[in-house]
Amino acid sequence: MDIAGKKSSLTWAVHISVLLLVALWLFPTLGLLVSSFRTADQISTSGWWASMFPTQQNLTLRAGAPELQVFEDGLYVIEGALFEPDSGKEISRWGISSRAYDAYAPGEIVPLNKGGEITLGAGGQYRMSNAEPFTGSRGQRIFVTVTSPPEFTLRNYQNVLFDPSNREGMAKAFLNTLTVTIPATIIPILIAAFAAYALAWMEFPGRALLIAAIVGLLVVPLQLALIPLLKLHNEIGIGKGYLGAWLAHTGFGLPLAIYLLRNYMVGLPRDIIENARVDGATEFQIFTKIILPLSFPALASFAIFQFLWTWNDLLVALVFLIDSTGETTVMTKQIVELLGTRGGNWEILATSAFVSIAVPLLVFFAMQKYLVRGLLAGSVK
Amino acid sequence: MKHILLAGAAALALSAGMAGAASDLAGEQITVFGPWLGPDQENVEAVLAAFAEASGADVRYVGSDSFEQQILVDTEAGSAANVSVFPQPGLAADLASRGFLTPLADGTADWVRENYAAGQSWVDLGTYAGPDGADDLYGFFYKVDVKSLVWYVPENFEDAGYDVPESMEELIALSDQIVADGGTPWCIGLGSGGATGWPATDWVEDLLLRTQPPEVYDGWVNNEIPFNDPRIVAAIDEFGVFARNDAYVAGGAGAVASTDFRDSPKGLFSSPPQCYLHRQASFIPAFFPEGTVVGEDADFFYFPAFAEQDLGKPVLGAGTVWAITNDSAGAQALIEFLKTTEANEIWMARKGFLTPHLGVDTSVFGDPTLQKMNDILLNATTFRFDGSDLMPGGIGAGAFWTGMVDYAGGKSAQDVADEIQAAWDALK
Repeated sequence: MDIAGKKSSLTWAVHISVLLLVALWLFPTLGLLVSSFRTADQISTSGWWASMFPTQQNLTLRAGAPELQVFEDGLYVIEGALFEPDSGKEISRWGISSRAYDAYAPGEIVPLNKGGEITLGAGGQYRMSNAEPFTGSRGQRIFVTVTSPPEFTLRNYQNVLFDPSNREGMAKAFLNTLTVTIPATIIPILIAAFAAYALAWMEFPGRALLIAAIVGLLVVPLQLALIPLLKLHNEIGIGKGYLGAWLAHTGFGLPLAIYLLRNYMVGLPRDIIENARVDGATEFQIFTKIILPLSFPALASFAIFQFLWTWNDLLVALVFLIDSTGETTVMTKQIVELLGTRGGNWEILATSAFVSIAVPLLVFFAMQKYLVRGLLAGSVK
Repeated sequence: MKHILLAGAAALALSAGMAGAASDLAGEQITVFGPWLGPDQENVEAVLAAFAEASGADVRYVGSDSFEQQILVDTEAGSAANVSVFPQPGLAADLASRGFLTPLADGTADWVRENYAAGQSWVDLGTYAGPDGADDLYGFFYKVDVKSLVWYVPENFEDAGYDVPESMEELIALSDQIVADGGTPWCIGLGSGGATGWPATDWVEDLLLRTQPPEVYDGWVNNEIPFNDPRIVAAIDEFGVFARNDAYVAGGAGAVASTDFRDSPKGLFSSPPQCYLHRQASFIPAFFPEGTVVGEDADFFYFPAFAEQDLGKPVLGAGTVWAITNDSAGAQALIEFLKTTEANEIWMARKGFLTPHLGVDTSVFGDPTLQKMNDILLNATTFRFDGSDLMPGGIGAGAFWTGMVDYAGGKSAQDVADEIQAAWDALK
């Protein structure tokens, strides 16, 4: 009877920590998603969680330049509006000096430093007047504290995905990443499935040693091989390009793939395979008719792993793929360079990041039941 | 039908002939790899597009924030671009000594001597020892920068009643004044992707030139004076006076290392101003907010020298070195093109470009501030090239950068200098 009570308190602890973990993982993603629909101004003034509410910003704007002045009723006048009409923005305080940027309320008439006066309405309409002509080439600076209504826009996505003149855009990099990722996922699985079957179910001398060698290869850091391998690629004429990237991803992914699949296949019931042998099936028939269908969870889970790795890979792409023509750039590289040049442009970063994680998210949700099953591959017999 | 085809072909041949004698490069692909991204990438692409048009070649530019790392991988493996643009002559010298660069065509050195202001010094900066130990001209300087500049917003100075300081003492007094008035004087950002830390090396170099005679600077650059010499450590600490003072830096000293150098000037333009002063080279207007008119909305003054130290007016500068990393007729032609006034004037008409080329028409400059930069150069009693760019790549594009990030993060100047010297010893 005690046991049941204990169990329930533990369950609570489990539920709460699961909830916390889910929140921990979900919030940054949600933040990215929301930020990717906001404008730069909005992001710089308030967090994404405040995106549903009006935001208050301090802006430095300029009135029209002196060349726009008109002479009316004995006064030189410059008139105009700081915002588009119907923008919904409302000015609460304003000023004409950086030291007193919120000195005045809308509608006040204020003397200008260089003579004349200025007034600003809550909607952003201003009027400057002076008995003398205005001089200089730049308009008067106006500091405003403005409340803007919430604003969501698809422009970031349009900019990042569909603007062909944007050399920092993601559209081409997205296709390039797909071009790298799909073959780099399929090729190692094909090879590894054959190898795993052989290592699991075919008797040949040195099999144990071969398995040990593959386990050994798991711990070799791939950084060691980067430059020698690239040299080899250059010498045999592959150079930098998709083929080289596929080969590299295949090579670096194979040890784990073989190890994972072999451990899973070893756990399949021996009886089925021996029955098939007795019935006269060839090894190839056993592999295609029995082993492959039964290993589907393991294959799928490795496919997810490999897909995510190659999708998020930067190192291998930099070394083996991206050549000096810039035609083969991938998304990770685009984003890294964006971090440098657009470190403050969160709307572009968030949109690019979301474009980049959208596909892995889809893949993960579509295949997650296999991921869990596959994670157990080989661990339970 | 055949007639029309033939006529068309003849017309094509004619127009190709008229496009210039260099059009034998038609269809050849020339790749260029450099450190510029964003606005500067657009500028360099405009220059390269003019070359492509003149020669018929297919010119591709790729920029990277991690230029210094990527160029090593690419040259080592033999897959480098035709022409690479080095921000650091020291790194180019490293690669030249390992045989990865191709010497420039004969006569280039003479051309530079004749057509560049202080031509011999540009030749010296581009001449490196090859793999056989023989000196050759490997690097062609195109686009130089003056680094000893402090940027400010004149209207903010006007509003607050500040004057442009004439000496370092006045500059520090002005900083204190701004703090006393409730403002923050400086915006400092060291972030730059794989090159994070370099803006701090410029500070240290500028301050070393202002606290020690130029001979100390020269000795430090070739490590005859060790990095952990007390005079160098003092210069690092002088940088700390600005960067490690929470009251002096926008966002506090902790924000220095994490703020990107391209974002940090934006604080000058915010409302209310996050800072009033920003020390950065002549290229920084490319990263000012859109629509900023240099000379009116933003201006600069010379990063002044200490009045009490009798060291004159030292000026720190830098430049980018174009070198051939994968020889081809197109690569040679591109270097040849950079010698033309046209190649210089295209970028001059944009932003952030200075050139030592004597033949250019200075009226095409995109902003009027260039004359002032020239004056700063002309009034200099000492001109020194950016020291970190002359040091071996492992120091000037490595240990010095990371050391300055550590220093900004709170490590002592002595520890940082000791570590950089240890890294230098390990390279020897």
